[in-house]
Amino acid sequence: MHTEKIYLTALCFLVFGATILMADSDPDKKGQVPLEPAPEVKLTLKEASTCEDLKNSKPWNQAVVFSLKNRKVTCYCSFDPVPEKTFIQHRWFHKDRLNARRKLILKPPRWSTFSTIQMRENDKGPWRVEIMGPDGKVFQTLRFSITD
Amino acid sequence: MNSSLFIFFDSIRWQDLVDIGLNSYILFRLYVLLRGTRMFRILIGILFLWFLQKIADSQGLIVTSWAMQAITAVSALIIIVVFSHEIRNLFRTRDFVALLWGFPKKNDLTPVEVITDSIFKMASRHCGALLVFPGRNDLSDILKSGIATDSIISREIIQSIFWQGNPVHDGAVIIENNRITHVASILPLSDRTDLPKFYGTRHRAAKGLAESTDAMVVLVSEEKGNIMVAKGMNLEEIGNPAELKKHLKLQGVHDGGKGNGFAVMHLKTMMAALMCVIFVTGIWYGVTRGISHTLISLEAPIEYINRDPEMNIIDTTIDVVRLRLSGSDVLVNSIKPDQVRVKVDMAAAKVGYNSFVIENENIILPPGINLSKIDPRIVEMNIDAPKQKIFPIQPDWTGILKEDLILASIKIYPKELRLKGNTRVLYGISTVYTEKLDLNSIKKSGEIIVKPVIPAGVSLDPKSNAHQIKIVYIVNKRDVEEAE
Repeated sequence: MHTEKIYLTALCFLVFGATILMADSDPDKKGQVPLEPAPEVKLTLKEASTCEDLKNSKPWNQAVVFSLKNRKVTCYCSFDPVPEKTFIQHRWFHKDRLNARRKLILKPPRWSTFSTIQMRENDKGPWRVEIMGPDGKVFQTLRFSITD
Repeated sequence: MNSSLFIFFDSIRWQDLVDIGLNSYILFRLYVLLRGTRMFRILIGILFLWFLQKIADSQGLIVTSWAMQAITAVSALIIIVVFSHEIRNLFRTRDFVALLWGFPKKNDLTPVEVITDSIFKMASRHCGALLVFPGRNDLSDILKSGIATDSIISREIIQSIFWQGNPVHDGAVIIENNRITHVASILPLSDRTDLPKFYGTRHRAAKGLAESTDAMVVLVSEEKGNIMVAKGMNLEEIGNPAELKKHLKLQGVHDGGKGNGFAVMHLKTMMAALMCVIFVTGIWYGVTRGISHTLISLEAPIEYINRDPEMNIIDTTIDVVRLRLSGSDVLVNSIKPDQVRVKVDMAAAKVGYNSFVIENENIILPPGINLSKIDPRIVEMNIDAPKQKIFPIQPDWTGILKEDLILASIKIYPKELRLKGNTRVLYGISTVYTEKLDLNSIKKSGEIIVKPVIPAGVSLDPKSNAHQIKIVYIVNKRDVEEAE
């Protein structure tokens, strides 16, 4: 009889303890503190420049003035982090007039990309390149001139 | 009929009444100042010619109308030249108040009392006399025989004329108004044979003129010292001054007293005033209402009033409004373009698109012209106002940099500047460039001071410190290794 009481008491403790444990593991229970959401990772422009060309996937001869003799101008940009596969645009303006638009793909976790325009005789003058995100936000505007 | 009459009276404005009253008074004043003068009669003649011209014009008598018009124009010119002396006197001798108010004192009324008194005095002294008071008949033949004079009547003058020592005492005097116009006039003698024997030459002369004209002759017998009045076929003896005055009055001789003559004169003046009002009213009616009613359509430019000087009208849907106007032929044909104005009040205008309704109150027309239609009634406009906006500055490089050099980077101070201008103009600008910067002279890193090139239509904010821009540039050696 005494032994039965001991077994019964132990069983009650077991049931009680299991109930508490089950309550702890259920996040939907009232009075429980939710977990902190993970910080949002934003697409971030790490580096941008205009250059004569790329060398080892890095800008070569970064400059703000380009001679027609070089024949081309490259706009290099590097994003870190890239949270998801997305795209950006390089919008090339000659004297405030949109001259060219290049759509460039970005992939996680980081990505470097570039676009190039060929220079012609009547391209001389002030230029700018807008690096624009998918939502239309301009990350940076790079300004340069094309001269003789 | 009643309703049309009511509409007519309802259409009369207070300005019309003032117009009629003022012009009637001016005409009346001209009458008062010029009546009795030759100029007045000629003016009436010119007016008559003008009426004839209008009638001829309306009836399509081209040559007659043209001739009348020419005569009227020449007459008006002649009257100014010929009567320049009278016109000058009119303005010189009368003060301003006299021109506008009051009646000129005309002492041309016959002094009946003086004449009567003189005649009875001469009668008492047996001083023979013959006085002629003309009627409407022409006495020019008789007047030729006399001596013209221009004496104002007085007792002394009358008695001295008929004084026996005076060379002209034998003739008759002619009295017109307040003047003795002729003396020593020889009157025609009566041919009648039934006259009493005691009638002398003076009696026969008085009878002769009275029988042949409507003139009245008063004679004083030198022999008997009695006074007789000859009128028509009658020769009546006068017993007392009252009787003589009665005869003079019957002849139309009045002295301006409070009697009938005074009343007649005032009645004439009142009639003249009434005629002036009727005449001017007729002209007003002819001009403003007219017989023919004309409808015209004309375009009037829109004037914008109460515009905020800061606001600029960029564009409008319309610049002119077509108005349909009606009125009398004369008024409509005399409309000048600057008399018709369309005003739009911009006090409530806002930056952006605005719409204004052109109401009848917005149209200003000459008096007497009616507005029938406005087309279009709505004007839409785009209004802009100056704003300020910040722009980045970009250097405008030119020339050739040495081949072994590269302009790696620049820094601009200040980086941006503030421009002021209309929104639309500012919208078309994204960058402010500097004046041309020559690369040929650049050998190494350095700095340069330049001026910004401000685009047309905008201005640099006065508070801005970007009148001069400093550019610090970094020059590097070119990497000549082959790129990938």
